[in-house]
Amino acid sequence: MKKFLSLLLAAMMLLSMTSFAAAEEPFVLTVMLPDFYTDYDFNTTDNPVLDAIEAATGVRLDVQFVANSAYGDQTSYTLADPANMPMVMALTGARDPIVITSAQAGAFWDITDMIKDYPNLAAGSQGIYDNISVDGRLYGIYRARQQVRGGIYYRSDIAAAQGITEEPQTIEDLTKLAYALLEHCKTTEADDYVLNMVKYVAGTIGIATVSHGAPFNWGVNEAGEIYPAHQSPAYREGLKWLRDLYAAGGIDPDFMNVESGEWDKIERNGLAFMRFDCMDNTYRQQEWFEKNEGITDIIWAMIPGVKDDDGVMKLWPQNAGYSGEIVITKAVKEADLPKVLSFLDWCNTAEGQTLLNCGLEGVTYWIYDDGYMYTTPATGEDVATQIHTIQGSLNQLGMNVMGSLTPTVAQTALRKEYAGYYTAEYTNLIVNDPCHALTSETNIMMGTTLSQMLEDAHVQYIAGIIDDAGLEAVYEEWAALGGDAMTAEYTAAYQAAQAK
Amino acid sequence: MKKAERVALYGTGKDYWKRLWNDIRGSYWLYLMMIPGIIYFVVFKYLPMWGVVIAFENYSPFAGIFGSQWVGLKWFKFFFSNKMWTRYLSNTLILSFMNLALYFPAPIILALMLNEMRHLRYKKLMQTLLYVPHFISIVIVVSITYVIFGSDGIVYKLTAALTGTEVKYLSDPGIFRWMIIGQTIWKETGWGTIIFLAALTSVDTELYEAAMVDGANRWQRLWHITLPAIRSTIVLMLVLRMGSVLDTGHEHLILMSNALNRSVSQTLDVFVYQQGITSGQYSYTTAIGLLKSLVSIILIVTSNKIAHALGESGLY
Repeated sequence: MKKFLSLLLAAMMLLSMTSFAAAEEPFVLTVMLPDFYTDYDFNTTDNPVLDAIEAATGVRLDVQFVANSAYGDQTSYTLADPANMPMVMALTGARDPIVITSAQAGAFWDITDMIKDYPNLAAGSQGIYDNISVDGRLYGIYRARQQVRGGIYYRSDIAAAQGITEEPQTIEDLTKLAYALLEHCKTTEADDYVLNMVKYVAGTIGIATVSHGAPFNWGVNEAGEIYPAHQSPAYREGLKWLRDLYAAGGIDPDFMNVESGEWDKIERNGLAFMRFDCMDNTYRQQEWFEKNEGITDIIWAMIPGVKDDDGVMKLWPQNAGYSGEIVITKAVKEADLPKVLSFLDWCNTAEGQTLLNCGLEGVTYWIYDDGYMYTTPATGEDVATQIHTIQGSLNQLGMNVMGSLTPTVAQTALRKEYAGYYTAEYTNLIVNDPCHALTSETNIMMGTTLSQMLEDAHVQYIAGIIDDAGLEAVYEEWAALGGDAMTAEYTAAYQAAQAK
Repeated sequence: MKKAERVALYGTGKDYWKRLWNDIRGSYWLYLMMIPGIIYFVVFKYLPMWGVVIAFENYSPFAGIFGSQWVGLKWFKFFFSNKMWTRYLSNTLILSFMNLALYFPAPIILALMLNEMRHLRYKKLMQTLLYVPHFISIVIVVSITYVIFGSDGIVYKLTAALTGTEVKYLSDPGIFRWMIIGQTIWKETGWGTIIFLAALTSVDTELYEAAMVDGANRWQRLWHITLPAIRSTIVLMLVLRMGSVLDTGHEHLILMSNALNRSVSQTLDVFVYQQGITSGQYSYTTAIGLLKSLVSIILIVTSNKIAHALGESGLY
């Protein structure tokens, strides 16, 4: 009995201690984010940036970083286990079937009627909030992105050596440029190619087809019906352009086996000279060459797109104005919801954005006399490890719905050129997916498998393994297996949305 | 235990229960010692099986197993209504039967070869070396394959130089299955010999000596003594293998697949992974898993019956 009593007393003491301690502790917010710096161990306990966030908001972030390459699968596992969900999650695809079904199943808090009380969140684009809504209800805050981002970039020095000094304006110019670069490849000993292609082909095929005038994913015909992009003749022309270049030896014959992680390295090793991808890579590659190869001339050039045969320039949408969203899961108690929302609201302020994106001045970034931000101290020492262990990929929590308010980095010529495309003139040229915000039951059930099927066929077509008849056969199979059902469902949803 | 033996031991009907009860009373310590094992099987093997009911629900993790809506056979109908299932099933069966025909005999042949080795220490060394590949992760095996068979790889360059044609080992759909089987044989053959080597140790050496006196050569001894001795083990392994004919695993295939060979690399297991894990279709993929289990049970029971008919003791 004595023993039992003493045990009881000890337990009571322990309980009172924890409840007392809890009153003193900050609000702990568990967060799951994709990690782009897996080579570094994020410092969770003794981290000055997390301390600064806590000091500013009273919220202690408990971040669970997941390697970006595994983030989709991890999202799926996490959503299958409601008892152990983090309180806040970044979802990289706001329209992914798993996100829609989870929202419908009640995994996330419905914040439709709440964001108006948070000025920074309410300042976001209503159009994008509508686009990420599920059944008309809003479950997350989008992560804003610059929409004019995809484009074409190439080695201007090699092009100039081949006699092409002008940036390409039309498809014809682009073809000339590609084959001029091919002439250069033939003169070298190395296994080098013109167009840098890897396993991830969506961007390359997207840019090639949209520049030829094709719609993106889905198109709308005169009758107001939805049709799949691959039915447009321009889409086939874009594929043919790649197929011809492949046949001529301008693309690595084994590209479908090259991991996406190699993409940048191929250019850095001088084994490819043109790429259809994000234009901001242009200045990143230029800066890499300046730092590692001692290059001083500008050797990279970028264009957002070229005019198609009708003289119209159409741009591929790298994103729909956002990249995924931040959701609040049901792991947050209803009473704590305002705390979490005000924290997310704070993340959008200049202070919040700076802490999430850049960290602390003098620790993870430095501002020199010119007023620009640098990621190396004036002493020039290499602080990459320091920055990445403290900062990690915290920027993935950033939403920036009111635009970027962080200190700016020094504007090189290429960075300035890139920022110059942030205008309505170019945004208006973007081809948007008319079905982006629409739901299709077949897409939720089979979308992943069906789009994989198309992508595989397109790769096979580019690699010359199947011909036009073979491609048509796959299209027919795709239509029979659910493509037609999807088209019909999207048409109905599109017409219903237009009628509103 | 055969029925006749059981009757002989415990009798029938009422008698059986009475005797069992007496047995428990007589040696209850032994029965008590069984309890942890029984609990383990109930808790970790039998209770989780009920999770299979989600195959008949529109399961959502947030509603739970008891709160999700019942949909009856919807997912089974959906699976068969979409013609894609024939592709997955044929890919699965072709790969499985290639595996059965090519990989299954490999450990037996290797075990027999090891058994013929006369130098004991050399034999032990070889055995140890043969087990090593089993412990190498399939991810690394695939990476090694990419290095050797990729367009910069030694085998790729060698075949191109010798035959003048570039064989695309990694992307040709016609070669894909051979690569998978080849990797499996490379990785698992050595490990697979263990069970056969164990069976071989039970062969009475006097039989060999008697056969030698009678003038039997090595082949005859192998054919008439060694093989019959391990025949029941081979049949047992074959029956077990039949139960997993539809299991191809997914990680190996996903690692080896790409845009060019996906038409042959998509098996039921890969499909279940993509739909279940990547797209979160838990009910749909559980239904497919249940179908697979049904087929496996049927195959095991049938092949066991055949084994009995052939005079083998089989699995049970």
